[in-house]
Amino acid sequence: MTEKAAGKPKSRRRIDRRQFVQTLVSLGIAGTVLSFLSLLMSLLPSAGAGGEEGEVDNVFKYGPEKGAWYSDRSGTDVKLEDFDQVGKGAGVLWRGKYSAIVIRVDESKLRGATATSGLVAFAAFCTHLCCISTWHLDRPNEDVLFCRCHDGAFDPYNIIKDTMLNGTEYLGAQVIAGPPPRAAPIIPIEIQDGKVAGVAKDLGLYDYCG
Amino acid sequence: MKRLYEWIDGRFNISPLIAEGQRSINFALPSTYTRQNKSKIFWLTYPYYYVGSIVAFLAILQGITGLLLAFNYVPSAVGDPGTPTEAYLSVENIMKFVPLGALIRGIHQWGANLLVAALAIHAFWAFFRSPYRVGRELSWLLGAVSLGLALAYSFSGYLLPWDQLGYWAATISVQIMRSIPVVGDLIAQLLLGGTTLSPVTLVRMYYYHVSLLPVVAIILVGAHILLVLLQGVSEPEEVWKPRKAGQRQAGPLFGLFLPQQIIPVLILSLVTLGIVLLLGAFAVQVPGDPANKFLTPQFIAPEWYFLWAYGLLKWVGWLYEVVHFVPPATVFGIDLLSAKVVGILIAAAMFLVLVLMPVIDRGDEVRALRRPLKTAVGVWAIGLLSTLTLYALNEILSSYLSIPIGSMNLALGSIVVIVPVVVAAPFFVILRRHAVKGSTKEA
Repeated sequence: MTEKAAGKPKSRRRIDRRQFVQTLVSLGIAGTVLSFLSLLMSLLPSAGAGGEEGEVDNVFKYGPEKGAWYSDRSGTDVKLEDFDQVGKGAGVLWRGKYSAIVIRVDESKLRGATATSGLVAFAAFCTHLCCISTWHLDRPNEDVLFCRCHDGAFDPYNIIKDTMLNGTEYLGAQVIAGPPPRAAPIIPIEIQDGKVAGVAKDLGLYDYCG
Repeated sequence: MKRLYEWIDGRFNISPLIAEGQRSINFALPSTYTRQNKSKIFWLTYPYYYVGSIVAFLAILQGITGLLLAFNYVPSAVGDPGTPTEAYLSVENIMKFVPLGALIRGIHQWGANLLVAALAIHAFWAFFRSPYRVGRELSWLLGAVSLGLALAYSFSGYLLPWDQLGYWAATISVQIMRSIPVVGDLIAQLLLGGTTLSPVTLVRMYYYHVSLLPVVAIILVGAHILLVLLQGVSEPEEVWKPRKAGQRQAGPLFGLFLPQQIIPVLILSLVTLGIVLLLGAFAVQVPGDPANKFLTPQFIAPEWYFLWAYGLLKWVGWLYEVVHFVPPATVFGIDLLSAKVVGILIAAAMFLVLVLMPVIDRGDEVRALRRPLKTAVGVWAIGLLSTLTLYALNEILSSYLSIPIGSMNLALGSIVVIVPVVVAAPFFVILRRHAVKGSTKEA
């Protein structure tokens, strides 16, 4: 075997046993290091011990905004009778997880959707960078869902069809100012014993921020 | 002492290293306090050469105070939104009950602010002086990456008290990170353990802040300083002449490290320490309300050195509005043209230009006064960062000066466009004339 190889012209590259072992060891070390990279998977979020979600209350609860008319009712159920005039709105919590805004609108001016007992509700996250929008707190004279972080504004009277990044089509309040890339999703509502409840089927829409 | 040194040397054989170090260190910083030029105000002559040593001093101070704070801080954010978590309570405890706790935290807080300020001066000055010529590209690269590290430090540290400001500043940053095209969500999940802030995020941030970043910083900054010692600093413009890589000049500018160079370092460090102590003792910022994910605070702003990026995002949104540009929902399956992604891409491009300066700018000339275009671009960049910072404060200025937000935005938005150009243009015109004159004279 060696005699045969030695007989070949010198220009042909030969690998001696030392080089062979060196290559093998290098490849082995490189492979081991690379396979250890897979341990980085452990950095990804785990499903955790969250457990099954039980029955969740759909009724909106008043939010924690300071200086608003509902501040002293923070955490209590949102009632239809509280919205006694057009333009009255409140920041609310929904299903213990989402922020939302409920507004009494002038139904004759509302375009693109219909109100329920004069009320409409929107997810309060700003589609820009997920700050929580407010109603009449920063811009008391403008009927917009206003985001404090980068001055985004959504028009609750102009409901348009928009598309999420994943292609889901939805209805939402049109962006009229600032950097938000898409409309603020509407939350379908129902009045249950005088309380206002959000009844969306596809919650994926409201998980936009995480 | 000598016997101890000999004992160590006998085991580690460090004397050749020490000898080389002693030779190198005398080229570390220029000093006019030499036999040739006995100016007593040597450290005023080349003050900017010493800004780096202020950064180093502050970094050490941050290490010491951070170590002390870590003994009393609890990185736990479990709890209902809006209620104080253990992290929040432990910071309150440091501020109220830990002996000298408030002072230590004050020093750490102001040390971080001054460190970034000193670092910005260090970086801009280096930009104008083009010290990244052949042989020194690596110093520049390490420096630019260290700048990023400093920002990562401050970002992770800002969140630790788990108060409203830190929480929302971090929320915005996380969402910005998520909107990096294609890989954003994956990066956010790997770094933060999720796509929103949670107790897991706090623990990770704490880990980065006190463990991972220090190790990386010591290696990178150590290499940065080692390179300065081995290569010497690039010479001041007055003695500058084109030369080959690695060559250095044992000129009259370099006094001995001890004492000519170290004295200004010590003086500056003491002055810095004095400032930090005063600010830390009398102007420490207490944590605001506990973090509440259901409520964005009214005037939300990141730390002052991130304001330009915050302003950039606002400004792009305003610009779109002014020109009535409605970006398409998706381009190639991502929202490429939305204001936030455009803002991110602009900021990323700026950092990339900074990192790649040694590749972009390869000429021989280093004197800022002979580089009209580059100097003008640098001035423009400073103008842009300052005006964007101003734009970030539009809400606060509007309510403070009671100017309607629309006109405020119009005023500030135009300032962002006009002022940097107006400031930079004369530099370009005058320096170009100067450069033409200079070159004819030399010829």
